[in-house]
Amino acid sequence: MQIWLNYLDQILIYVSLALSLNLLLGYAGQVSVAHAAFGAVGGYAMGYVVTAQGWSFVPAVLLGAVLAGIAGVLVSLAAMKLSVEYLILLTLAVSSVIIGVFTTFPQLGGSYGLIGISGITIFGWHMTKPSDWVLPTLVVAIVVYATCWRLGESAFGRVLKGVREDPTATQALGKNVFGYKVAVFGITSGLAGLAGGMYSGWLGLATPGVYGFAFSLTIFAMVIFGGMANLTGSVLGAAIVTLLEPVLRRAIKIEASRAALIQLIVYGLALVVLMRVRPQGVLPEGRTLRSYVIRRTKQARVEMSAEWVPENVVAATHVDVAAHEEQDRRELRWRDAPVVLVADGVTKRFGGIVAADDLHIELRKGTITALVGPNGAGKTTVFNLLTGFIRPDAGSVKLNGVELVGKNPDKVARLGLVRSFQDVRLFQRISCLENVSLAVQHQYGENIAKLFLGPTQVSRRDAEVREKAMEWLRFVGMSNFADVPTGSLSYGQSKLVSLARVLATDADVLLLDEPASGIDTKWVDTMLDMVEAVRNQGRTVCIVEHNLHVVGRLADHTYFMELGQITAAGTIDELTNSPRLAEAYFGTA
Amino acid sequence: MVLAAVNVSVKAFAQLTANGIFRGAAYGLLGVGFALILGVTGRFHFAYSFTYTLAAYMSFTFWDRSGLNFYVASVLGILFATAMGVSIERYVYRPLATRAGATALLAVFVASLGIGIAGENVIRLFWSSQSQAFGGPGAGPQQEVWHLWGHHVNFLNLDVYQTASAFVLVLALAAVLRFTGLGRQIKATRVNPDLATIIGINANTVYLICFAIGTFMAGVAAFWYGIQFTVEPAMGQRPVIFAFVVAFLAGTASGPVRVLMTGILVALIEQWSSMFISVRWTQTAVFVILLAYLISLSLKGSNLLRWLKLPARA
Repeated sequence: MQIWLNYLDQILIYVSLALSLNLLLGYAGQVSVAHAAFGAVGGYAMGYVVTAQGWSFVPAVLLGAVLAGIAGVLVSLAAMKLSVEYLILLTLAVSSVIIGVFTTFPQLGGSYGLIGISGITIFGWHMTKPSDWVLPTLVVAIVVYATCWRLGESAFGRVLKGVREDPTATQALGKNVFGYKVAVFGITSGLAGLAGGMYSGWLGLATPGVYGFAFSLTIFAMVIFGGMANLTGSVLGAAIVTLLEPVLRRAIKIEASRAALIQLIVYGLALVVLMRVRPQGVLPEGRTLRSYVIRRTKQARVEMSAEWVPENVVAATHVDVAAHEEQDRRELRWRDAPVVLVADGVTKRFGGIVAADDLHIELRKGTITALVGPNGAGKTTVFNLLTGFIRPDAGSVKLNGVELVGKNPDKVARLGLVRSFQDVRLFQRISCLENVSLAVQHQYGENIAKLFLGPTQVSRRDAEVREKAMEWLRFVGMSNFADVPTGSLSYGQSKLVSLARVLATDADVLLLDEPASGIDTKWVDTMLDMVEAVRNQGRTVCIVEHNLHVVGRLADHTYFMELGQITAAGTIDELTNSPRLAEAYFGTA
Repeated sequence: MVLAAVNVSVKAFAQLTANGIFRGAAYGLLGVGFALILGVTGRFHFAYSFTYTLAAYMSFTFWDRSGLNFYVASVLGILFATAMGVSIERYVYRPLATRAGATALLAVFVASLGIGIAGENVIRLFWSSQSQAFGGPGAGPQQEVWHLWGHHVNFLNLDVYQTASAFVLVLALAAVLRFTGLGRQIKATRVNPDLATIIGINANTVYLICFAIGTFMAGVAAFWYGIQFTVEPAMGQRPVIFAFVVAFLAGTASGPVRVLMTGILVALIEQWSSMFISVRWTQTAVFVILLAYLISLSLKGSNLLRWLKLPARA
């Protein structure tokens, strides 16, 4: 009996480690193979202060968790700008360095590690048998599960998934990606440290071997087996991986040393087979155990055929004069409108290439400004310069009098200047509704403290956010697709969702990069209706566009760009009537 | 006092520098192979340590069981490991990557972890977990101690052979990349596999070639390691982690010579640091320098272009 209770303790500790790694790996997409090393920080810290300093177990474990959290924050700083393969390399190195540092201290037992951590009591209860450990490890596992669930399945977790899918797009929506990464590394490392403290207490030792790289890989494998971004999956994964060895030994009746080898071979090959047949794991993201037991048929999906056109909500609301609105009326509207954004003298060089040369751009309230010009003129670079993705060498950008140059893109977005991307950049593996929800600003559930202190508020506020996001999906005619992952949308549909996403930020100034390019001609008018409807709500819009028909219909004012310079400004008719510009744009006529 | 210490250790410094170059050549050779595979194919080939170990074991086995000449057996062993590396790409990674699409990197990484774990334990099952003498008496080159600078700098002839073979292989790879059509194909595939395919390069074949070259280089490194020390199932882990670090520091898109030099630099830092700190700390010192470098990069903060480039290789 005690032997199986021992396995239960082990599973519960592994569950804590797997859950915390899943928050980091599955939700935030940060591939770390150093998780056991953070556990080691907790285990060693606990072991040292208990054996050498005479601390009692509970504060010792908490100290370990805090230290591991600090180590996680440091690693996150180093990891900040790395792509996946470099992150794997970095965490590999971190894993070695943490264990290496411990083995160099004689106080920590050198390469033997800390052994004989014994006589542990928790609130006066002596921990001697495996059955004594069931309750403490269960409590820790529940605490870790609750923490990961709260963070992962909330507005905070939505942003983490955004970071996983596309950090640049997440930042463009006003989210402080830097802060989220630091937070998620710190928290998950802290939880690993907590579990490590329990582990070393339960084992009675903290050695380099126990927390070696192989253990990191085991935890990693549990998360992969169970399913990334699925917490129940991690619980299953921990149980499966832990029970593999005893079950194998009992079932096949082979001697222990060979069983251990065969277990590892089976487990290695199982990873390969799993990637081949079910790469998303036993329980994929978004699935629950119940969804397997009760086979609910959720086939209410709209067929995504080529015949589909967006529900034309806008057409009913918009006044159908825009298409034929006089050029001079639009010019008048532009002239009278107050200036919202001024870029002055903005210059950027890449080596010898001048991408932007002393640009002067004004965007005025409630108008649409177009930026046209031949390929390579630097139009998208202008968006990058205005929104802080590229820092200008010289010049200033002022939004309602506030200087934007030097501010990070997420700060710029929060100040009310939001851009869309030419290549759409939706978050592929999450639903349309979540994509748009992510864009809503000032969300209650993005604040970690509030997540844990105001549980009733959190769900109420998040329902509001979702309702708001749903309205924007309805606005672009995509509400039937709310639950569909954007990865399975057509290009035109993606464009519509990306418009909804930008609109949901409530930003005053919207920079739309080729909103109508690449979509079916029969949708173009719908798209343009929507952009006009946005202008009629009093928002300021700037578009980059190649299609002169689109510009002619939308623009109240037009800038013409060539080779990083603005060479002309005025109404589109004025510009197209200039033979020189026509030649620059179309080539020799 | 500092000056005196420096004065005393000039000779020690020369010895450490020699050690660093020898050891660095091994790191560099492994790093070049790994960087070639990761940089061109995008496969995070963690099972690199398995093919490394396998090369040493197969060389040993061919010699031990078949009575072949030691060098012939070793070449066969290294080629066996090379075939294994190529097969892993062909029969495991490629089908996985085709299926996984955008998440290929992670899927391949997990599968390669699986192969690494299973492979190491298959070796334990076949050859036992004990470390074994490789080559044995009479086989392979004899060890001699060579001296430079009036017995102040000592090293083995094997160190020199090992370093020379590393330089020859790396320079040969650099020449292939630079001067041959195959090299241009590899470089084109590294920059953009899809575009390379469009202009008629068979990216799949290029990937297989990169796996062959990379695995072969690791096999040569394993051969020299085996001769100098012993072979054991976990022998691949430490050197390969260093290879990862070298590839990481040099950048996987860098040329082979640069990666080799980075390997030597890492080993030199490791060796030189032993003049100032306890030997136990030297490897840690390398990692701490690496971490500090990365943290300083990220805290610079203003370099948003790098940030923009982040998701380019999804």
